[in-house]
Amino acid sequence: MRVLVVEDDPLVGDGVRRALSGGGFAVDLVASAEAARSALDTESFDLVIADIGLPREDGLQLVRSLRSRGKIVPVLMLTARDGLADRVTALDLGADDYLTKPFQVPELLARCRALIRRANSVASARMTFGDLELDTTRKSITATGKALELSQREWAILECLILNAGHIVSKNKLMSAIADWTEDLTLNAVEVYVSRLRAKLGGAAIISTVRGMGYRIDEPRK
Amino acid sequence: MTAPSIRKRLLALLLLPAVLILTAGTLSDYFTALTPYRDAYDQALFDAALAVSAHVRPDPQGHPTLSLPPDAIAILRYDSYDSIFFKVTTETGAFVAGDRGLPQLPEAASNPARGFAQYHGEAVRLVTYRAKRATGVLNVSVAETLHKRDRTRSRILWSSLAVDICQLSLVLALIWIGVSLALGPLRSVEAQISSRSARDLTPLPREAVPTEIESLVAALNRLFVTVRATSDAQKRFLESAAHQLRTPLTGLQIQLELLTEDPSAEPVRERLAMLLEATQRLTHTTQQLLALARSDEAGNLRWEFTQIELSEIVESTVADRISAAIGAGIDIGAETEPGAVQGVRWLLLEALSNLVNNSIAHTPAGGVVTVRCGVTDGAGFLEVSDSGIGIPVDEREQVLGRFFRGSNARGAGSGLGLAIVAEVAQLHGASVSIDSGPEGKGTSVRITFQQIPRLLT
Repeated sequence: MRVLVVEDDPLVGDGVRRALSGGGFAVDLVASAEAARSALDTESFDLVIADIGLPREDGLQLVRSLRSRGKIVPVLMLTARDGLADRVTALDLGADDYLTKPFQVPELLARCRALIRRANSVASARMTFGDLELDTTRKSITATGKALELSQREWAILECLILNAGHIVSKNKLMSAIADWTEDLTLNAVEVYVSRLRAKLGGAAIISTVRGMGYRIDEPRK
Repeated sequence: MTAPSIRKRLLALLLLPAVLILTAGTLSDYFTALTPYRDAYDQALFDAALAVSAHVRPDPQGHPTLSLPPDAIAILRYDSYDSIFFKVTTETGAFVAGDRGLPQLPEAASNPARGFAQYHGEAVRLVTYRAKRATGVLNVSVAETLHKRDRTRSRILWSSLAVDICQLSLVLALIWIGVSLALGPLRSVEAQISSRSARDLTPLPREAVPTEIESLVAALNRLFVTVRATSDAQKRFLESAAHQLRTPLTGLQIQLELLTEDPSAEPVRERLAMLLEATQRLTHTTQQLLALARSDEAGNLRWEFTQIELSEIVESTVADRISAAIGAGIDIGAETEPGAVQGVRWLLLEALSNLVNNSIAHTPAGGVVTVRCGVTDGAGFLEVSDSGIGIPVDEREQVLGRFFRGSNARGAGSGLGLAIVAEVAQLHGASVSIDSGPEGKGTSVRITFQQIPRLLT
């Protein structure tokens, strides 16, 4: 997994680079949008992490120019500003996620993994989440090498949660992930499937309930 | 001392001279009218004196005698209102005819002489005519009491007073109306200023402004420009301060976080952990001070108010604090009802996030934190309630002040969290209330907005 970090502050840039290296990513660090563009022209990356507040050309302009040139690499924006405008603009311009400074390392890693996982789920059949390994074509899953038996709906819910790891997934979204033409489902059904899924996963992944909003999946703390 | 009033000044400056001029006019009318009527009445007395003198003839001894029959004398003395007296004497003062006691005017430059005198204890008007007759010079005096003159004089006085009082009232009314109308543009400028919101610093229109206050309006507009520029500069400074402070703090925090995990840092791990904690506290306080500076209404910062769905604020806050809550073993949840208010999104996020942080910090593992929003009695609200340690009843007012920490507060808080909530609420015209949580345990803090929110359909 190769990540390009675009950050002009040396302390933050170095911190992000080290954090990602520690998380098992290969990291290239550049300090400007121009350097980022030439790196992206010559090499291929799985993820770009770009600060909004770059000198000369800012992170928003970088995203726009990448998207206008047809680059679909996922982009995570970092910003020290807390205005809504920045976030909306960033997402409108084609960024995939947004993290406000200051952030903590586990949060950064979770967001990066989720972005890469989502991008790869289209191209590749294999997906990992902590100790879980999923094969999306054969719908098989192992936890630390041991196979788990999941129903089709439990699988769909797990996949939806993992692809949105780091974010809360609403019950409605999970319901549409498992709905089919043959059966009318209720939101209660989602709760039933989630609790079965929890029991089957054991401690391999933690599904937290956020009352009134939905669920969130996290890797177990080590 | 009351403030000077242009209306009062104008009225005083116009009314006082107007009253004086009208009063002088009344007096001059009165005295002008007095002369002709007095002359007319005096002429009647003089005519009587002439008539009497024409009938004084010498008797056979050559002494002057009045040869008027009693009927003629009765006619002479007849008057509806006054008593008429007369006396004829010779040049030497010898009595010839008439009322013996009637005084005579001393010889005067004019003939006839006119004047006032007393007769039988009553004031009379007296005309004395010196007539040359064959018998020598005669003094003929005719007098009358003053009843008809008094009557006429008071009639003249009252009628001119009535006319002048009418004139005066009319002038006063016109001045009052005129001054009010003239001050109309001032009032419309005042209405324009007082009807605008505190955040509206756009220039006042100068088209309809009268020339006299044009420079005042121009000065106000210049002031608005200055205030706006200052406010914008302060806003830019705070934005940039936020950025300048957060970036190095983020760097520090990440580096320390990584160092704490680094195996080679084993000998200094404890010290690194302390540094990391201090950095996190510094980051937190910085964030709060920035929020406080930016929500400070006295700072005159003009933030854009927009339509805000309360449920979006609740969900963003919960999503943002979920990791902290899960880490602390707290069951966090949202209960949202539709509701919207006019507000500044990030300030509301900041306030709610402070409330949720407080709840997480003061609720033991296994506890419950619930973030709510909705509309009660037409007013939107945001609420965070927890099953934590609660705030003592007698401290609930104080905790909203800056730097106050509850006697049972936990962790290394700055004492600013609830102050931010209070200031953000104030900026939105909302109120903050603190109660016990569900079942009398824990804390429930509610921000209630004043506006009637537009319900979502």
